[in-house]
Amino acid sequence: MGDLLGFVLSGLVSGALYALLATGLVLSYSASGLFNFAHGATAYLCALAFYELHSGFGWPAVPTALLLVCVVAPGIGWGLDRLMFRKLARVGETAQIVATIGLLVALPAAGLWVVELLADAGAPVLPAENQFGLPGVGPSPAVSWQPLDGVGIDSDQLITWAVTAVAAMALWVLMRHTRLGLRLRAAVDNRGLVELRGISADRLSSVAWMLSSGLAGLAGVLATPLLGLSAHDYTLFLFVSATAAVLGRFVSVPLAFAGGLGLGVLQNLVAGYATFAEGITGFRTAVPFLILFAGLLIRARRGRAAGTATAEAPPVDHLAGTTWARRWAPWLAAAVLLCAAFYTVTTPFWSGILTQGLAISLVFVSFTVVTGLGAMVSLAQATFVTAAALVAGLLMSHGWPFVLALAVGTGVAALLGAVVALPALRLGGRSLALATLALAFLADQVLFQFRWLRNGDTGWEIPRPVIGPLDLGDDRAMGVALVVLCTVTVYALTRLRDSARGRAMLAVRSAPEAALACGVSVVRTKLLLFTVSAGLAGLGGVMYTSYNTRVTATDFTAMTGLIWLAVVVAAGVRRPQYAVVAGLVFALAPHLLAQYVTESAHLPVILFGLAGLALANDPDGYCAAIPLRWHARRQAGRKGPASGSASAYASAQGAEPRPGSGEEPGAGARDGAALRLHGIHAGYGTAPVLHGVDLAVRPGEILALLGPNGAGKSTTCRVAAGLLRPRRGEVWVGGRAASREGPVGRARRGVLLAPEGRGIFPGLTIEENLLLQLSDRDARDAVYDRFEALARRRNVAAGSLSGGEQQLLALAPLLQHPPAVLVADEPSLGLAPRVVDEVFTLLVELRGNGTALLLVEEKAAEVLGIADTVAYLAQGAVSWCGPRAEVETDRLTEAYLGMSQGRRR
Amino acid sequence: MLRSIRTLAAATAALLLATACNSASTGGSPGDGPGSATRGVSATSIKVGGIVSMTTASGYSKKDTDLGARARYDRANAEGGVHGRKIEYLGAEDDGQDPAKNLAAARKLVQQDHVFAVSPMSSVTFTGADFLDQQKVPTIGWGTLPSFCGPAHLYGFNGCLVPMPGGTLNQTWPEGLGAVLGGAKGKSVALIATDNDAGKFGIRTFTRGFTAAGFTVSYAKAVVPAASTPNDWSAYTKEILGSRDGKAPDAVVSVMQTPYNIGLFTALKRAGYRGVISDPTDYDPGLLAKDATRQALDGVHVLLQFQPFESDTPAMKQFKEDIRKAAGGKNVPLNMHMVTGYMSADLFLSLAEKAGKDLSVDSFQQAAASFSDTGTLVGDRALPKGRKESFGCGALVQLKDGRYEVSVPFRCYPPIPFD
Repeated sequence: MGDLLGFVLSGLVSGALYALLATGLVLSYSASGLFNFAHGATAYLCALAFYELHSGFGWPAVPTALLLVCVVAPGIGWGLDRLMFRKLARVGETAQIVATIGLLVALPAAGLWVVELLADAGAPVLPAENQFGLPGVGPSPAVSWQPLDGVGIDSDQLITWAVTAVAAMALWVLMRHTRLGLRLRAAVDNRGLVELRGISADRLSSVAWMLSSGLAGLAGVLATPLLGLSAHDYTLFLFVSATAAVLGRFVSVPLAFAGGLGLGVLQNLVAGYATFAEGITGFRTAVPFLILFAGLLIRARRGRAAGTATAEAPPVDHLAGTTWARRWAPWLAAAVLLCAAFYTVTTPFWSGILTQGLAISLVFVSFTVVTGLGAMVSLAQATFVTAAALVAGLLMSHGWPFVLALAVGTGVAALLGAVVALPALRLGGRSLALATLALAFLADQVLFQFRWLRNGDTGWEIPRPVIGPLDLGDDRAMGVALVVLCTVTVYALTRLRDSARGRAMLAVRSAPEAALACGVSVVRTKLLLFTVSAGLAGLGGVMYTSYNTRVTATDFTAMTGLIWLAVVVAAGVRRPQYAVVAGLVFALAPHLLAQYVTESAHLPVILFGLAGLALANDPDGYCAAIPLRWHARRQAGRKGPASGSASAYASAQGAEPRPGSGEEPGAGARDGAALRLHGIHAGYGTAPVLHGVDLAVRPGEILALLGPNGAGKSTTCRVAAGLLRPRRGEVWVGGRAASREGPVGRARRGVLLAPEGRGIFPGLTIEENLLLQLSDRDARDAVYDRFEALARRRNVAAGSLSGGEQQLLALAPLLQHPPAVLVADEPSLGLAPRVVDEVFTLLVELRGNGTALLLVEEKAAEVLGIADTVAYLAQGAVSWCGPRAEVETDRLTEAYLGMSQGRRR
Repeated sequence: MLRSIRTLAAATAALLLATACNSASTGGSPGDGPGSATRGVSATSIKVGGIVSMTTASGYSKKDTDLGARARYDRANAEGGVHGRKIEYLGAEDDGQDPAKNLAAARKLVQQDHVFAVSPMSSVTFTGADFLDQQKVPTIGWGTLPSFCGPAHLYGFNGCLVPMPGGTLNQTWPEGLGAVLGGAKGKSVALIATDNDAGKFGIRTFTRGFTAAGFTVSYAKAVVPAASTPNDWSAYTKEILGSRDGKAPDAVVSVMQTPYNIGLFTALKRAGYRGVISDPTDYDPGLLAKDATRQALDGVHVLLQFQPFESDTPAMKQFKEDIRKAAGGKNVPLNMHMVTGYMSADLFLSLAEKAGKDLSVDSFQQAAASFSDTGTLVGDRALPKGRKESFGCGALVQLKDGRYEVSVPFRCYPPIPFD
């Protein structure tokens, strides 16, 4: 019994650290929707800073720790959010996953670089290498007690428990009992709606990142005595704590916290009692990753299990419509030049490096299948490489010829790919990425520990192939052969992409249900994607190890796979030829930098991490961005800056061109309109929707906007609320130009949008929903007095209310503080007639309080009952606008059937 | 259709080009052809490079290896060089424990810097081994990797430290611990290692070694999670302390790295263990700088395979003086990586000296084919024996009151067969 208690108690120490890290992960995920792989690196950075400041500079421990946890770490979080995460929140998931992988290596390198610089400057820093038994916040060496027989506790453990408990309490108070916490939770629930309420989600995201980094810093400082100064160990620790974040589904802080504690205990119990597994080398080592994998399978939400990328629009193809030669000639010329260079200009050293780059390119190309085509992030590619190479080496040691060994190795990798694909059938996005990572670690720690497979540390020799007269023992011949192999692979993959099967893959990527409806087998397609990709990785792996002439089981670890992915995605993962560029850059860049730029080993790594910053701007990678930018600039030079195609790139990136300014809205500015739209042109991407909409709503007036589906009613609402920036035209609020304001600024000026559907936070209680808008108690009580249904259930999650109650909850607070303008997009949608009446009564009451209402409605008959003015929207323009009294039934029908012959452009 | 024809044509053309040019490119290996000058050797100098892991993400660095090598080469040059040739030591390339960088470093040293030899090479990975051997580059380093056992041009500075089935086992540790305990007969020992292939192999070899020395091995398991240091050691200490029929063994031997040892030893002592504790990695005077490590390792007997810094042989005095000079006259804390660099350089110099005035790869290899000397920092050196087994010399030091003390003096032991 003493044993069990001991295991549980000391398990709670690792558990506390897991809990802190997992909580930080959940917070940052909620803020920006991205899984921060660099979270452990932040912890490491704080541990390093603590060590240098405390042991090096001799600063006292507790104030130093407080400074790091409360100031420095949040500062890092704030800076990274401003520079990177905020932008990343708007790009696709692949770029998100990858950008933080760059940071994972760049942050520790930056820390070590600073230490190096300080040492050069003569500061009393200590070397950061080979440091063990580092002091933590408490006494060093730790004081230990034995309260019960067989149960020992030391001061470091006690401090970890106590501090974690305090942090948990503080976090609970912050999240549950402060306004900031309420807003943070609201932002997690519905980020868009928070902005419509006039709260800056960006600022909340900064706060969340600061909290998250502070927690990472806390974990780092607490873990210093345990983990020392190994960035690698901190990152491993982070991956394990990801399990806890998974248990909290990346949303729930309390669940993640509890999960972290439980994980530590479970891990300790397995280590203590897993005697059954002693025959399996590596089983105990792999326990955390087994738990991670199991957790993912059990807890992952069903739903979008396919690719991650519906939102990721492909970049504009500026070569669309040009000839095949125009597209491929530069690439072919580059290939031929490279071949020629091997035998003319490059020295043996550079030939070798280029060949190495080409060999790794083959591996990199495999990413363009699973991630580029399938939009599934696989972090297990290094596993396929190791497996194929080990198998090929094993066979060659038995006298098999190279080509046969290569074929079998590739086949084994493909099979392994099919196995790794199994979780992909259930998972998607970040969960899939983590699952493949867990499998990669499992392979490293169990599969590749089999002595017959790995042959100890010796590994297997994989001599360069000699095929007929072709001896690839020479680097140049190997280089040319690899150029050919890369060309053939790129060609085959391009064909695959353009084939029926490739279209099926793209279909599964963006809409699995629709693909299924079209007779495309989602299961088969995903298996195929993983199998092909793994096979390619295996093929590349055997070629790469044959360049090295040997493979050992530790040459390509799971972490290597992570870095590879980052390198490929930074270049661009949508086309296989970009991966070849990535391979060459990966091989050449370190040497070029070392030779011509810097001697420091840290700078290149930091530069590599900055690729993540670049991804925030160009999520499709530099290979795609450079020609596009160049093309756009050339077009701009040719046609002048206002031309449409010059802005094609910019608009594809989501940045709408600024609307033309200086356009005077005639007499409109001072006519007393609360909201005026003037000559609005707006649309999405390249598709225009509104073609010059003019509308004005005065205080105390209801303007009903009617029109058929697709006329642009919701788009008009979005423009009015600042969610969509018009391409031309002006928005005036209370007589002042407001076109450039986003939803937050618009809401602060009194323009509120009640969006289509329900404008509430389903995860918050009714009380909390009201509290967000009504800070004073009397106002809330007034709402409860009027709506008893809400009063009775004030501590119930708003999501459990009926549709009508939800709509009332969304609109009721407005009565207490009537806004200047309310834009309501179909407030009666899906409501019972009795509730509709109640909603309309509310709207009329608001009008009575002086609010200007822009009301979009399908239920024309009802809305005519309360409207003062009616406008018909047809095909993106107002076809008729006038007082309700002048509305004729015919005109109404026309408007709805879209038969209006009114003005259009 | 047109596309595939064009692509195939391009591919075929490229292949033909490769085949055609291939004949011109083979055979031109930058070795030492008859009549041609030897790579890296001029009338007045010998170019030597090194490969060392310095920066890593794991926080483990061997960068002082470079200083050790520099110290030894500096003295050689101060004494007039090798047969009139000065050693031009280019310094060590940093491989960052990255297999790809290790190979690239080897290639750079050979193809760009044209070194005659690589010494020292000390890393956890040695992907450059096959290349260096194939390019006939004499390479000397820390023989903890299998590449130092076999390939013709690669040498471990204290022999090959990886036991091979069918080869021999170095008995320094079992014999030394036997001496500490006043004889191995009837004494029991517990062996513990990390849960991976290397740990398992370590357990296998040391079980054989300790049994052969007369110990009873009461516990021998590779069970500690290898990915990260456990926070709780009670599960392991409990098993170990009851392994000799419910009683504690006379000695606990850890085949693990420093962070693990700190945790395990602290837990053992807290559980009341009073027997002998030993490990092979914690001889680093730098560890004494921290209270936590000093306390955790107090009383531990550490195995080392070179003369302890505490001994006062002429070789050790010379070593300390050389290091101090190379460090710019400062008394830097000594560590084993310095010995690695120093003795790798020393073995190179000794072999080059023996190779004679006419230094070439062939003459160097000939010198290495039958070489022996005695009384060095790593004991009695002998080649080609050292290409298959360790030189078999070592000592135990014990950490007492914040200082290392020699508990078993440095000497050489005969190996036993390993099957």
